[in-house]
Amino acid sequence: MNFDELHGRRSGGGKCKAVLSHGFGTDQDAWSALRPWFDERYDVYSFDLPGCGRGGDKTYDFERYDSLYGYADGLIDLLDQTGIDDCLYVGHSMSAMIGAIASVGRPDLFSRIVMIGASPRYLNEPGYVGGFDATDLDALFDSMAANYQAWAAGFAPLVVGVDDAHAVSEFSRGLFQMRPDIALHTSRTIFTSDVRNAARRVPVPVTLIQTANDVAVPREVGAWLAREMKDATLDIIDASGHLPHLTAPDAVMRILDKHLQGDVP
Amino acid sequence: MTASISEALYELCGFARVSCEAELVVALEVDAGYRASAVAVSPTLPLSSFNLRNSRIFEHAWASAPVSASELRLPSAVINALPALPTFVLFVPAGLDHAPYSGLLLLWTAPDAPPPLVRHVPLLAGSVASALGRRREAVRQAAIRDQFNDLLESVPAGIVVFDGDGHGAMVNERAARLLSTEPGRHEASDVAEPMRMLRERCDNRKELDALYEGHMANVHYSVTTHWMLGERTYEVDTHPVHGDGERGRIWLFSDVTAELRMAANLRKMAETDPLTGAANRRSLESEFARIMKTPGARDRAFSVLMVDVDHFKQINDTHGHSVGDEVLRKVAARCRTALREGDLFARFGGEEFVAVLAAPQEAELTAIAERLRRSIAGSAFRSGTLSIPLTVSVGIASGTGRDAPPASFLATLIEQADDALYAAKQSGRNRVVSYTRQRLAG
Repeated sequence: MNFDELHGRRSGGGKCKAVLSHGFGTDQDAWSALRPWFDERYDVYSFDLPGCGRGGDKTYDFERYDSLYGYADGLIDLLDQTGIDDCLYVGHSMSAMIGAIASVGRPDLFSRIVMIGASPRYLNEPGYVGGFDATDLDALFDSMAANYQAWAAGFAPLVVGVDDAHAVSEFSRGLFQMRPDIALHTSRTIFTSDVRNAARRVPVPVTLIQTANDVAVPREVGAWLAREMKDATLDIIDASGHLPHLTAPDAVMRILDKHLQGDVP
Repeated sequence: MTASISEALYELCGFARVSCEAELVVALEVDAGYRASAVAVSPTLPLSSFNLRNSRIFEHAWASAPVSASELRLPSAVINALPALPTFVLFVPAGLDHAPYSGLLLLWTAPDAPPPLVRHVPLLAGSVASALGRRREAVRQAAIRDQFNDLLESVPAGIVVFDGDGHGAMVNERAARLLSTEPGRHEASDVAEPMRMLRERCDNRKELDALYEGHMANVHYSVTTHWMLGERTYEVDTHPVHGDGERGRIWLFSDVTAELRMAANLRKMAETDPLTGAANRRSLESEFARIMKTPGARDRAFSVLMVDVDHFKQINDTHGHSVGDEVLRKVAARCRTALREGDLFARFGGEEFVAVLAAPQEAELTAIAERLRRSIAGSAFRSGTLSIPLTVSVGIASGTGRDAPPASFLATLIEQADDALYAAKQSGRNRVVSYTRQRLAG
C-alpha cells in the first residue's frame, strides 16, 4: 500500500498523528463528518483502501489482499513509507482488524486504536456469536456474484440501518465504485476471516465503538472484544447501523472526547 | 502423490523444528514476484499466503546463522501465527526454477540464541528443494490432468486414447456409454474388445472389416468413416497421436445421425416437387443421366410417357386452386400406382407429368399407358362433397441411346412424346397416342 497511490490526504493542525482507515463499501470520504474533530487535534492522514475509491481496480491485488494479514502488511508499509509512527489509528469495520493485526507485529507504530464496528470473526461457532452462519454467507456471495448492482442497492440501506438518505447514498456510491469482482473478493476475505488471536494480542489501548443494532456486528461481538482484548473500552451508541461515523457523528465525537482527551498534548 | 510429498515436507519441517528448538518452521514456495505460500507448516496451523517483497529476507546472505527478527520485516500472517513476537529467524534458501525464492523459514520466540545444532539446518536445503520441486510437479500434473479430463468431457464426442505402449487406454464418458464400459483408464484389451463388439453390431460391419483390415500393416494409419448402428450413425475418426502410431492412437466417435438426416432431407427437398411429392424435372433428368452411364444402357430401349390432365384449367377456374392442387396430388398418386416399380416419374410442370420406362416391350408399353389413362378416367376425383370426372391424354415416344447423342437423348424423346401428346389432344383427348404410330398414321 502506498499513501499517494491510494489518494492519501493529509489535513489538520495537530502535532500527534492520526490515521483514518475506512471500511468495506466506502472510501475516505466516509470521514467527512468526523474529520473536523480530528483536524482540530491531530495531524490527520487518510487514504482509500486498495480496491476502493476512484480507480480502485488499479490499487487492488487479488493475491496480496487475499487475507486481512495482507492488508496489515500493506498498512505497515504505508506507515513506514510515510514516516508515521506512534499514531492514533482509527479503523472502521475491516480496517479495525487490519490495524489490530499490524499492531501485533509493530507496536511502535500505534499509540492507540479506535475501532468502529469491529469484528474479529463473522461466522458463528460453538461458544462464539459472530452473527452469520455459513449458509448466510454463501447466500450473500451468491447474490453479489449474480447481480452486483441489485445486491448493492438492497445491501446499502440494510447496512446503514437508519433512514438516512445521505448515508445510504454515500455507502451506495462506495459500493458502486468498486469493481464487482473486487467487491466479492474483498467481502469473502472479510467474512471468512478469523483474527481473534490477533485481537487478543493487540498491545496498545483500544477504544471500541459500535451501535446497539448493527447488521454486521452483533452486540455479542463488541462484548467479546472488550472482554478478550488486553486493554479495551466499549461504548455502545444507542442507534442503529454499521456506519455511525456517517449517521451519528456527534455520538462518536462524544465518545472520542471522553477517551482521547488525555492523549492529545 | 501430492499428499505424500506434503507429508514428507511436513516431517522435514517437524524434524527441523524439534532439533533446533524453533517455534515455527515453514516450507515456503516463493515465486519470482515474491508471492509466498506455505506448503508445510510445523506445528500444523493455518497460514494464509503472503508477499515477501518487502520482507528483507532476500537481501540477507543466509549462511547457517540465525539473525535477529528485528532485522527483517516479517509478514503479519507469520507473526500472528506465532504465540509471541519472533526473536530469531533463519531462512534456508531452496530455490526452484519456477519459484526461485523458495526455502525453509525457521522462527524462534525465545530470547536466547538458537542451539548450536541449527548450523546443520542448511544441509536440509537439498531435500527441501527436491521435495518442493516434486510437489510442484505433482500439483502441475494434477492440474493438467484435471484440465484434460474436463476438456475430454466437454467435447461432444466419444474419445478413446490408446497408449503408445499398447498397455493402457483412456475412455471418456461418452465413449464409455457407447462401449458399455466405465469412463477412465483401462487395460487396452478391456477397451479394444468392446470396440470390436460395437463394430460387429454395425449394419455395415463387412465394409468396416475390409476397410480396417486394409490398414492393419500400417501403424500410422488414419481413417474417418461411418459406423452404422441401426438408427444411429457415428462418424468414427481414428488417427495416431501426433501422427505417430508408436505414441498411441486416438478414436473419436461423433454421432452424426441428425446431420445425415438433415442432409438427406435437404437433398430430398431439392429433388422433389413440393405439391405432389413426385420427383421434379431436374431430379428425373439427373436420375436418367445416371442410368444412361450404366454399362449397356445405350443399347437398351427407353420410352417416355407425357401425361397431361385434360381441361385442367376449368377445374381451377370452377373450384379454385386448392381443389386444383388436390386433384394434381391425386393424379400423381394414381399415375405412380399405374406405373411399374422401377419406372421414373416426375411432375414436369403445371398439369403435365412425365414417366420414363426402361426397355418395355411394345405390348407392355401400350398396356401400361392404357392402365395409366384408365386409372384417371376410371373413377371421378372426390374433394369434400365434390365429385370431379377427369381424364388425361398421353403421348408416347420410344428409342435407344444409339438414336441420339447422349446429351439430347431424353430431350429428343420428350419432344417426340410431346408431339404425340399434342396429337392425342387434337384427336379428342382421353387417349394414348404413340409418336411413331402417329407419324405412320399422318
